[in-house]
Amino acid sequence: MMWRRLFLSWLVLVAGPVLAHKASDSYLVLEAKGTQVSGQWDIALRDVDFAIGLDADGNGEINWGELRARHAEVSAWALSALTLERGGVCPLQVTSHQVDEHTDGTYAVLNLTGTCPSGEAELGVNYRLLFDQDALHRGLLRVDVDGVTHSAILAPEAAQQRFSAEKPSLLTQFGHFFVQGVWHIWIGFDHILFLLSLLLPVVLVRELGRWRGVGRFGEALREVLWVVTSFTLAHSITLSLAALGLISLPSRLVESAIALSVVLAALNNLKPVVNQRRWLIAFVFGLIHGFGFASVLAELGLPADSLVLSLVGFNIGVEAGQLAIVAVFLPVAFWLRNTGFYRRGVFVGGSLLTLLIALVWLSERAFDLKLMGA
Amino acid sequence: MAALALVTNSDAAPRTPATDAEVLEKLPTRAADSTARELAALRAAVAKAPTDAALAAELAQRYFDLALAQGDPRYVGYAEAVVIRFANPLPVPLLTLRGVLRQYRHDFAGALKDFEAALVLAPDYAAAHAWRGAIFLVEADYRAAQKECTALQQLGRETLAGACLGLLQAYSGQLAAGYTTLQQTLRLTLDADNRLWLLTRLGEVAAWRGQDAQAQALYREALSLGRDDVYLLAAWTDFLLDAGQSAEVVRLLARWESADSLLLRLAEAETQLKLPEAARHQKMLVDRFAAARARGDTTHRAEEARFELRLRQDAPTALRLAQANYAVQREPRDARVLLEAAIAAKDPASAQVVRDWLRRSGFEDARTRSLAQASESSGNTGSKK
Repeated sequence: MMWRRLFLSWLVLVAGPVLAHKASDSYLVLEAKGTQVSGQWDIALRDVDFAIGLDADGNGEINWGELRARHAEVSAWALSALTLERGGVCPLQVTSHQVDEHTDGTYAVLNLTGTCPSGEAELGVNYRLLFDQDALHRGLLRVDVDGVTHSAILAPEAAQQRFSAEKPSLLTQFGHFFVQGVWHIWIGFDHILFLLSLLLPVVLVRELGRWRGVGRFGEALREVLWVVTSFTLAHSITLSLAALGLISLPSRLVESAIALSVVLAALNNLKPVVNQRRWLIAFVFGLIHGFGFASVLAELGLPADSLVLSLVGFNIGVEAGQLAIVAVFLPVAFWLRNTGFYRRGVFVGGSLLTLLIALVWLSERAFDLKLMGA
Repeated sequence: MAALALVTNSDAAPRTPATDAEVLEKLPTRAADSTARELAALRAAVAKAPTDAALAAELAQRYFDLALAQGDPRYVGYAEAVVIRFANPLPVPLLTLRGVLRQYRHDFAGALKDFEAALVLAPDYAAAHAWRGAIFLVEADYRAAQKECTALQQLGRETLAGACLGLLQAYSGQLAAGYTTLQQTLRLTLDADNRLWLLTRLGEVAAWRGQDAQAQALYREALSLGRDDVYLLAAWTDFLLDAGQSAEVVRLLARWESADSLLLRLAEAETQLKLPEAARHQKMLVDRFAAARARGDTTHRAEEARFELRLRQDAPTALRLAQANYAVQREPRDARVLLEAAIAAKDPASAQVVRDWLRRSGFEDARTRSLAQASESSGNTGSKK
């Protein structure tokens, strides 16, 4: 007898749970504004029926009449399983009953309202609906406390949760985006290679078709400042425009153009075309790189209420990340500028290698190939 | 994000029905049905004697059987609610049942602990051995599975032992031997449920051996038993999809929209045939996966991976899901979806776990083997970007 069941069960184990229907969820949306709370609670009719019985005529169907007749009991049953607290218990009542469809059937909709003792404290939610009858039941909660939105899954082991109205401080948000900015220039290999390609020649001067080392550190530093500043200025412009949704370019185009910019910057080292106004290259291509940063920022998600602050934080982070790279690179390059190692190995060899990598990127991105393993 | 979208339920708005007669919901049972009456009687009995473990086990088992028969996870939740009302230490049947309910949620570690505890109390409890064996097979721990098969053999549970050993052999590089074992086990039993299970698994093994005609015959024999069975239909329609017989899949699964795994196969077939229904079924799948995610349910990842891969052509997402699934479940079908996703995403390294499993287990299916080979050369493993 037991092993017959086992066979059946084995089947399911091996197949994984077959969800012809889904497990039971209720959808609870709450809004607390000062002492006032309101909300909408969708509970599956099947669950209501299982808990208190709705099918009065026993025909296996629930119609609106059967549900309407039991509205008082449905309210009492549901409200007995939900406690809201803000400086004490907020007594709740159901103002109206409706119905709604979800993916797995029709739900009773209870519109709620209540008044709390305090309009300042955290909002506590204690949810007990159906847990003693269906251990897999979950309450999917979205709660807005004085404009700050939270979402949570209410489960038997997480039935009681608290939600605060406190937003993360502006400084915290700024810091978060600053760190992200630093981080993304460091892991953005293509941005670094572009920048380095432009920086490799700053410790050298081209005269009569030959390279020689610059005389003073200040000369190199001035060149670096021009390049880095124009790169930053340019990518800040496009990053802001894209992040604010004013311009949007297809990402394949942007990524390909970024790869192309690295190709050209490396080529320019090997066969100099632009020599004097390297900052111009930095500016023009910086515009493209800005779109690249914008896609990163889009993934992070900008908070609507502190958009500009976050954007500035990210930009300054990118800038700081670049300066850190420059601070390491420049003294070493200046020190080695007259050695064969720098001239041939780092400058020529490095540019060649960069060119090669960038060409692979370009073909991958432009033709949607994958030449290098991830 | 998905949770938010679901909670807001943007594509519908609450409404007030116009008439009392409007039917809002069809229940799975009617009060007068024998199942409903039986359940009501059991519930009443449990309510009257809340400390009676045997009665509780009976009710919980009844719920669990219903969950399997109807594919409805609500009954699993009901069963678990009955079981967890009892304080530790649970008696052996309830302990085993709790393990079964835990494995259903893919909490394999928790389930194994329960079976272990049950076997300490009752070393000869065949059910606990069988379940342990099943979990070890899913986890590709064939040495541990072997021990459970042997234990079942020693307990004289020939059919269970044969099923256990047959699968074990098939998964671990002995398709021919596995086939023979399952076939011999089939001769031992006249029970229709058991035969259906064994015929289905034999069909799969035959297909892995490349014996398509034999596989077809086995699947058809299983179907001829005339029982609705989601796993059988899934295996059979997978076979048909591989054989390019999508029209047949559409015909078979037209009334199976309610089962996620079959809806997936239906949508795949419809997409291949460019049928207008495909878009609606894809949308239904999106909604169902989102609903599962919203409640923190991760038991659907293998199917979701296949959905992303074959229907939405989103290789990176498919790969992420297939990898997450493979960390939990490592059966041939889990291996296959990971290999296919890795190839589509041109990410050979991510399929290394499957190639390692193939090397270790010696699993012989030619399709899996050629996919593994293709996955290795799907990208240049050279420098990292």
